[in-house]
Amino acid sequence: MLINLVLKDLMLVKKYLFVLLVFAAIGPIYISSKVDFNNGGLVGFLLTVLLLEYILFGMVSKFEDKYKGAALLCATPYTRNSFVKAKYLFIFVIFICSVIIHIITSVIMPSGIEKLNITTLGITFLILSIIFGILIPVQFKFGYDKTKLISFFTIFLIPFVFPAVIGWFQSNHISFAITFPFPFPEIIQAWIPCFLALVIGCVSMVISLKIYAKKDL
Amino acid sequence: MTPILEVKNLNKTYNNFSLKDVTFSLNKDCITGFIGTNGSGKTTTIKAILGLILKDSGKIKFSGMDMDDNERKSKNKIGIVLDEGYFYEELTLKEMKNVIAPCYTEWDEAVFSAYIKQFDLKLDQKIATLSKGMRMKYAVALALSHHADLLIMDEPTSGLDPLVRSELMDILLNFMKEPGKSVFFSTHITSDLDKIADMIILIDDGRIIVNEEKDELLDTHALVKGDNRFINEQTQKLFLTLHQSPYGFEGITRKKKDVRRLMPDVLMERPTVEDIMLTYIGGNNNAN
Amino acid sequence: MKIILSNVSDQPLYQQIKDQIKTSIFNNELKEGVQLPSIRSLANDLHVSVLTTKRVYAELEAEGFIVTRVGKGSYVAPGNLEMLMESKRHMVEAKLAEVCQMARSLGINTDDLHSMLDLILEEESEK
Repeated sequence: MLINLVLKDLMLVKKYLFVLLVFAAIGPIYISSKVDFNNGGLVGFLLTVLLLEYILFGMVSKFEDKYKGAALLCATPYTRNSFVKAKYLFIFVIFICSVIIHIITSVIMPSGIEKLNITTLGITFLILSIIFGILIPVQFKFGYDKTKLISFFTIFLIPFVFPAVIGWFQSNHISFAITFPFPFPEIIQAWIPCFLALVIGCVSMVISLKIYAKKDL
Repeated sequence: MTPILEVKNLNKTYNNFSLKDVTFSLNKDCITGFIGTNGSGKTTTIKAILGLILKDSGKIKFSGMDMDDNERKSKNKIGIVLDEGYFYEELTLKEMKNVIAPCYTEWDEAVFSAYIKQFDLKLDQKIATLSKGMRMKYAVALALSHHADLLIMDEPTSGLDPLVRSELMDILLNFMKEPGKSVFFSTHITSDLDKIADMIILIDDGRIIVNEEKDELLDTHALVKGDNRFINEQTQKLFLTLHQSPYGFEGITRKKKDVRRLMPDVLMERPTVEDIMLTYIGGNNNAN
Repeated sequence: MKIILSNVSDQPLYQQIKDQIKTSIFNNELKEGVQLPSIRSLANDLHVSVLTTKRVYAELEAEGFIVTRVGKGSYVAPGNLEMLMESKRHMVEAKLAEVCQMARSLGINTDDLHSMLDLILEEESEK
């Protein structure tokens, strides 16, 4: 059932989907050809995914706001809960798509793009989870228009702030892999960001469900 | 008669409007017309029933079960047509159907296709390009293709031409042929109800004013016309509304026998639903 | 069967429908055992509520004019001449009572009423 709501979101943006998926493929190549952070392709991948997710989510939200389709869906057996959960699933599906596209691209043209490693994947997922973990509940609470304003500033700052932050980490020789001082095998440590991301996503979803349950549609 | 939907003491307060203890029930096998002026609380009531707005208090039961506790189960048996459609206009009819259909366990593609054919709709057309009448028909097709027991419609006829409205009435009567079905629909175009409604519920300023069988309502009330000389202090009290012109008077009464007795030479006609509505709304009522 | 509903009649709709179905039964237009239309389709055709047609059928059944078999429909009951005659008499009486009431309200006295009735009967027999 949920997947049908995700498909609905994808259908809403189908006109732009192809262009954006191409962007997902060439974005990282372009970024790593211009600036070389030498960090396992993290910056390129992260920025591409963030931008992609933000644009798609923004467009879907715009349509939701314009057509008020949620009212009809919530009057059907879908209910409010499915509607909220589908939004999270949508973000996740797009993320998975980006990963797959990235892997395919790196197989096709291994010279232009770095292979995706677990750390890059984990960090990207974690940051994505934090940003949308905040953005989605905020949007359910305050509505599309106000959130647009808030996130406009946020997205505006991201390209400036994040490379700087990551650069700072690197210049101080702090690696993400050793920020977890637990005696776990390396493989588990590498998966910790992914796990954290899932936890944040779930917490955010519970909050969104609570907010949306009290909303008049 | 068994009720299909029961609404008890429904309250909802907004800044400048509130529903006050709205209570009624809908009978099985009946078409119930929900009438009132714009802003009287029709849409708010319907949205509260469907859980689209949160009620401050009150109970809503569908087929005997509490709707809050059995949301999925009850909504699975309800068809909805909302006034503004609330469709994703960017999508085609088929795409929108593909979104809606999977949530109903009893979705019947054959029924849907039959409606689409009957209504002359094209599945690959964008919803945004539909005319108002087409859009309503599409909404009806979506609402009636999952074997719903109750069809709830919010202002389905507003802004439609008389031909399309009468087509809709035929569709509803056709739907009612199967036993156990019910229709609840709000409208401010009461002429639709003269033909097909079984029950009439009138809401005004968030309060239920009238809740009666339509024919009973029209039988007990009469539109009286006659010479002004019949109107005096005593006879005036017989009327719920009374309008006088230099040529005569016209009024609505609920005391047909008394009027016959005291004013033998007047014309008494069956009123329309609209006459009744105008009689009872907006503090127009000088009875009681 | 012919049913014509008046908008200016003092009689409630269900009464009008009931009387006219009865008339059809009396005239043998509706023969015994004939199936009557369903409650919903009669209501649709007459533009009245199902609650009204339901009431008509319920009362006709109570008075013995029709029988209803659950899930099958309603049928004209086997004729019972005595009962029909009784019912016809009753209808005539009801009409006469109405006439008397009207006459009284117009100030027509009993003798005048008698002579009016005689006159009408005479005219009828001349035809």
